Amino acid sequence: MKQQKNRLLYLFFIAGWLALSHQTLAQDTQIRGFANVDINIKNDQLNFGFGEWDLFITSDLNDKFSFLGETTFKYSPSAATEFGVTVERLIVNFNYKGNHSILVGKHHTPVTFWNDTYHHGRVFFPTVGKPLLFGAGIVPIHTTGIAFQGLTLGKLKWTYNLMIGNGIGSHEISDNDKFKSVTASTYIQPVNNLKVGASYYNDVISKGAEYKGGTAAEKFNQQLFTGSVSYFGNKFEVLAEGTFVNNNGDSTGVARSYATYVYTGVRLNENWIPYVRVDYLTYESGEAYFGNEDTFSFVGGIRYEITYLIVVKMEYQQFDREVSGHSKLVSAQIAIGF
Amino acid sequence: MISMRHKIICFGLSLLTGVLISSSVMAQNNLTIIGSLESVPVELDMSQLQAVLKGEQMRWQDGTKVKIALMKTNTPIGTVTSEKIYDMSGNELNKYFLALVFQGKVKAPAFFNSESELEAYVSQTPGAIGVVQSTSNDQINVVVIDGKKQI
Repeated sequence: MKQQKNRLLYLFFIAGWLALSHQTLAQDTQIRGFANVDINIKNDQLNFGFGEWDLFITSDLNDKFSFLGETTFKYSPSAATEFGVTVERLIVNFNYKGNHSILVGKHHTPVTFWNDTYHHGRVFFPTVGKPLLFGAGIVPIHTTGIAFQGLTLGKLKWTYNLMIGNGIGSHEISDNDKFKSVTASTYIQPVNNLKVGASYYNDVISKGAEYKGGTAAEKFNQQLFTGSVSYFGNKFEVLAEGTFVNNNGDSTGVARSYATYVYTGVRLNENWIPYVRVDYLTYESGEAYFGNEDTFSFVGGIRYEITYLIVVKMEYQQFDREVSGHSKLVSAQIAIGF
Repeated sequence: MISMRHKIICFGLSLLTGVLISSSVMAQNNLTIIGSLESVPVELDMSQLQAVLKGEQMRWQDGTKVKIALMKTNTPIGTVTSEKIYDMSGNELNKYFLALVFQGKVKAPAFFNSESELEAYVSQTPGAIGVVQSTSNDQINVVVIDGKKQI
């Protein structure tokens, strides 16, 4: 009797597993990945290393709902295994009508073209690394929250994004304070390959909140205004962005900062693209939030696109910092998608 | 006299061969847009078609999701499709869609090795629109572009 019951249970599990696996197969799920190997010469020393290993999953859950997940694995000296796993994006998308959707989860904050377009896929980057405004913590890269999005609407292909999230200083599962960040971004594509956009970001950062670059010594009200122009045509590539930051500290008052970069490349043929990029960061004296220094950087390099999934870049970068002075970096990168 | 006749025959044959080759090349460059019997309109203009095939229109008028079906970019029809409709090389087209999928903005098109597989997909998938060289399948609609059955 007991044996028969076990058999029935076994059959039940097999039937259940078959039903579930059928559902999984019916569901359209795709797994893609990106990785890069870097070589650089820093302080007269040659270094080999690898960057992020990015795993990217998309899945259509039904006619209206879809899922997007992006996870990176990268070297992290503080982790027990010396490798850290980070959930970069986890988005449930509800496409309720036409090109309009509601997205819930962890997003890349759509404040700049670069942050909204390239994410962690180095194979898409026009240069080896990100512009300096990312490393300097000017732009809040991630937001966990809800977004209302409309894509390529009307003749101007207007796109909008309104996002409300936990904001700076929050953790993956909860907010550190009652204040919510608000991001509003928009762009149009008046002609093929040209995008012109602007965005606004507002957040209140509580005293003690941890953020990239430090801990808030006081309460700040932060506003970011960004303008972007991008053109990636058959011959020329141009990407220019500027972010104006208004940090209003409770005791230190208002301090303004500005970060910009301009990238331009010339497509010699389908494979070779020489390029330059100029970055400039400037902070008002007494700026208490970023605690950084004025920096100018020049990047000159060449990109060789073997295919859309294999891209080799070689570049020279020079930094001129107000306090730390002059430095240079020669680097190469093989970025792949799979 | 005989040599003159030979010359005329040779000239005539060359002319005929040239006409046949050029018409065959032109036929290879022709594309036919096909759509599922449900949801997909039977007539579009070129700019509407380009917007749909670039993933810029997510749903049809009746709310059905747009599903794009293309020949793989390394096939002759895939190459012509990339150039004629997208104004891109096959490599650029693959990059274009990979980037949009990575941004979470569109679903990747379904890519096929053969026209028969593509036609079968379009006939069985509501909202599917695809590009082939020509078709005689009565389970799908031919979408007229700017008043023409072939582009």
